[in-house]
Amino acid sequence: MDKNRVNARSLIEASLDPLITINIKGKITDMNEALANITGLTREELTGTDFFEYFTEPQKAREVYQEVFANGSVTNSPLTLRHKEGKLTDVLFNGSAYKDERNNVLGAVVVARDVTEQKRIATELNESKIAAEHATKIAESAKIKAEDATRIAEDATKIAEDATRIAEDAVKAKQQFLSNMSHEIRTPMNAIIGFTKVLLKTDLSPKQNEYLTAIKLSGDSLIVLINDILDLAKVDAGKMVFEQIPFKLALSISAMLHLFEPKIQEKNLRLIKEYDAQIPEVLIGDPVRLHQIILNLLSNAVKFTSNGEIIVKVRLLSENDEKVIVEFAVSDTGIGIAEDKTEQIFENFQQAYSGTSRLYGGTGLGLAIVKQLVEPQGGTIKVESKVNEGSTFSFCLSFKKTNADAEYETDIMELDLDVKGLKILVVEDIVLNQLLMKTILEDFEFTCDIAGNGKIAIEMLQNNVYDTILMDLQMPVMNGFKATEYIRNTLKLTIPIIALTADVTTVDLAKCKAAGMNDYIAKPVDERLLYSKIVGAVKKSMKKTAAKHDKTFEINKLKCIDLDYLNRRTKSNPELMIQMILAFLEQTPQLINTMKQSLHDKDWNLLSASAHKIIPSFSIMGINSDFENMAKQVQELASKQIEADGIPELVFQIETVCNQACKELEIEMKTLKNKINE
Amino acid sequence: MSNENKIKLFLVDDDIVFLKLLEIEFLEHADFDIETYVTGELCLENLSNNPDFIVLDYFLDGIDKTAKNGIDILDKILESNPEIPVIMLSCQDKIEVAIDCMHHKAVDYVVKSETSFIRLKKIIKDLVEHRKLEKTLNWYMDRA
Repeated sequence: MDKNRVNARSLIEASLDPLITINIKGKITDMNEALANITGLTREELTGTDFFEYFTEPQKAREVYQEVFANGSVTNSPLTLRHKEGKLTDVLFNGSAYKDERNNVLGAVVVARDVTEQKRIATELNESKIAAEHATKIAESAKIKAEDATRIAEDATKIAEDATRIAEDAVKAKQQFLSNMSHEIRTPMNAIIGFTKVLLKTDLSPKQNEYLTAIKLSGDSLIVLINDILDLAKVDAGKMVFEQIPFKLALSISAMLHLFEPKIQEKNLRLIKEYDAQIPEVLIGDPVRLHQIILNLLSNAVKFTSNGEIIVKVRLLSENDEKVIVEFAVSDTGIGIAEDKTEQIFENFQQAYSGTSRLYGGTGLGLAIVKQLVEPQGGTIKVESKVNEGSTFSFCLSFKKTNADAEYETDIMELDLDVKGLKILVVEDIVLNQLLMKTILEDFEFTCDIAGNGKIAIEMLQNNVYDTILMDLQMPVMNGFKATEYIRNTLKLTIPIIALTADVTTVDLAKCKAAGMNDYIAKPVDERLLYSKIVGAVKKSMKKTAAKHDKTFEINKLKCIDLDYLNRRTKSNPELMIQMILAFLEQTPQLINTMKQSLHDKDWNLLSASAHKIIPSFSIMGINSDFENMAKQVQELASKQIEADGIPELVFQIETVCNQACKELEIEMKTLKNKINE
Repeated sequence: MSNENKIKLFLVDDDIVFLKLLEIEFLEHADFDIETYVTGELCLENLSNNPDFIVLDYFLDGIDKTAKNGIDILDKILESNPEIPVIMLSCQDKIEVAIDCMHHKAVDYVVKSETSFIRLKKIIKDLVEHRKLEKTLNWYMDRA
C-alpha cells in the first residue's frame, strides 16, 4: 500500500502540468514540482497560501474553484498563472472536488494544464490566418486593379482603333471625293474642250476664233490643274504605283516633243533634241509617269521662255547587264531662277516669285509633282539656273533591260497614212461624249456606231464587224472591263479595243491590260493621238491576221503554246528547245491515243494514268492551265472507276489543244532549226 | 574537270517531256554526268555504271502495265546497293505517296513542278555535303 502511494506520488511529481490540492477555503494543501517551477516559489512558500493569488485574474480563479466545490468538477477553464518574476503561463484549469465517506467536500484536486505551446501555435495560426486573409485581400484588390487596367487598356485600344478607322475613313473619303470630283469635272470639261475644238474647225470670224481659242486654252489649263491635284493627292496617299512595263524610250520622247511643237512654233522658239543612240531600244519602266515628268518640265520651259531655244537631252550614263541609268535634261533660255529660290520651287504651290503666277500663270504644282514622281523611282532631280539666262532641270532614272517587245506604242503616227473608211464602235454612256466622238471620228472620215453601255456593245458585236472599239470604262449596266473580258473570253474576238479613261491612274491601266484591252487614251481626247492610236491598232491587228493566215489557215484563236518557260529554262538555246519540243511531239500524240482508247475500252485505270502523265507537259509548253486542270479532272473522275459525265468532252478538249499545240510546235521547230542554220 | 570527279546521276521517268526538261536543267545549271532512262528496268540494267544518285519517278506502271512501279524499282536498286541515295519524284502531292517512299528507304520525295529541279539540286548538294561530313566524322572517330 505504501509502495503504491510512493509510486502515485512520483507520477504526480513527474507531470509537467501543475497539480494542486486545495482545501475548502482555497488554501493550497499540496502541490507538485511543476507548480513550484511555474510560480517560481518553493513548496513551503506555497503551502497554505490562497491558491487564486497566483493567477492574473484572482477573482476569476476564485469563481472557478468555487464552481468546483459547487458542481463537483470543472473542465478546461482558461486562466493564466503568474511567475514571481512576472512570466505568465496560460493554463487550462481542470478540477474535481474530493469528499469524505459522508459526502462532505474536503477540498479539490486541480490540474492546471500548461497550454503556452498550444496558445503560441494557435496565435501563430491565427496570425498567419490573418496574414493569409490580408494577402488574399491584397491579391483581390490587385486583381481588381489589374482588371481595371485591362479595361482601361481595352478602352484605349478601342479608342485608338476608332481613331485609326476614322482617320482611314477620312483618307478614303478624301480619295473617293477627289476621284469622283475629278471624274465629274472631267466629263463636262471633255465635252467643253471637245466641242470647242470641233467649233474651231468651222468657218469663224477672227473675233469668234479668238474667243473660242480663249475658251479652249482655259479648258486645257483647267484639265491640267485637275490632273495635277489628283496626282498630288495620290502621292500623298501613297497610292502612286509605278509600273514596270517594256516601252520604247526614243519613241516615247519624240511623241512628247511632238505634242509641244505647235506651242514652240507659236512662241518662235527652237527645239533641239539630243538623244543618245547607245540607249537600248526597249526598256522596262513606267512610260506614263516618265511622260508626265518630262511634260511638266517641258511645259515649264516653254512657259518661261520668250525667245531662244529649248534643249531636251537624253544621255546614257551607265550600263550593265541588267540595267541602264539614263539622264534626262531639259534646258531653256528663259527667265531663270535665283539661287536662293531653287529649293522651294519643288514644294507644293510654290513659284520662285510670287509675281510669276500673275505674269505666266500656273499653280506651282508642276515641279512638286515632278519631284514626287522622280524620287520614289530612285532618281533625283537637280536644277541649275541663272536669272535671265535660263535653267536646266535634270534627273536620272534607272531602267531594267529587256528582250521583250514594247507593249504600248507611244509612237504618234504621221497623219498622212491615209487610212479612211474604218468602222469604229464607240461604247460610251454620256450623250455629249457620244456626240463628240461621233463628230471627231466623222472628221477622220471613219464611220461609227454608238453603244450606250457594254451590254449593248456586245449585242452589236454579234451582228456587225468593226475595225476598232473605243471603250469607256465607267458605264452603267456593264462597264468597260466586264465588256472587254466578255469580248475576249466569250466572243473570242481579237478586235483592237482602246480604253477611254477619264482618270489615268496606273491602277486603271493595269486593269485595262488585264481585261485584254490593247491601248488606252485619256480624256479629253487629243484628236491626233486618237487618230494615230486607232490607225496603229488597226494596222497591227491586220498584220497579225495576215501573218496567221500565212502559217496555218485554220488557226483562228490566239496561240495555245507559250514558249516563255522553255526559253527561260534553256536560256533560249535553240538546240535544247528542239530537244524538248521533239520529246513533246513524240509523247503527246501517243498519250492522247491512249486516253482515247482507254476511254473507249472503259479502262479507267489506264485513262487516269495517261491523264496523269500528260499533266506536266502543259505547263512546260505554256499551255493554258485550264487544260492542265481538265487533265487533272479526267484523272480524278477516271480514278473513281465509273463512267462520269463530261469525261469524253474533257478528253476531246485536251485532244484539240494538244493537236493545236503540236502544230504550233512544229512551226516553232522549223523556226528554231532555221536559227541554227543561220 | 574530268568525268570521274563529276557526280553521276540517273534520271528515271516514263514522261519523256519532263525527263528531257530535267536533263536539260541539270546539264545547264549544274555539273553532272547524267544518264536518263524511260523505264525502271533500263535503270536496273545499268546500275553497273555506278550512279552516285538516282532520281526515280514514283508512278512508272501507269501506261505500261507490265512495267514495275517506282517503289519496286526502288527496292531492287537498294537490294543491289543499299548505299545509293534514291530521290523519288511524283506528280501527286500526297502524304501517302511520301510516306510510302520513306518506308521504302528513299532519301527524299519531290513533287513534280516548275521548281522540282531546284529542289532536287539542293537535296543532292545537301546529301553530298552530308556524306562528306560523315566521312570526316568517321575518320576522326577512328583516330580517337
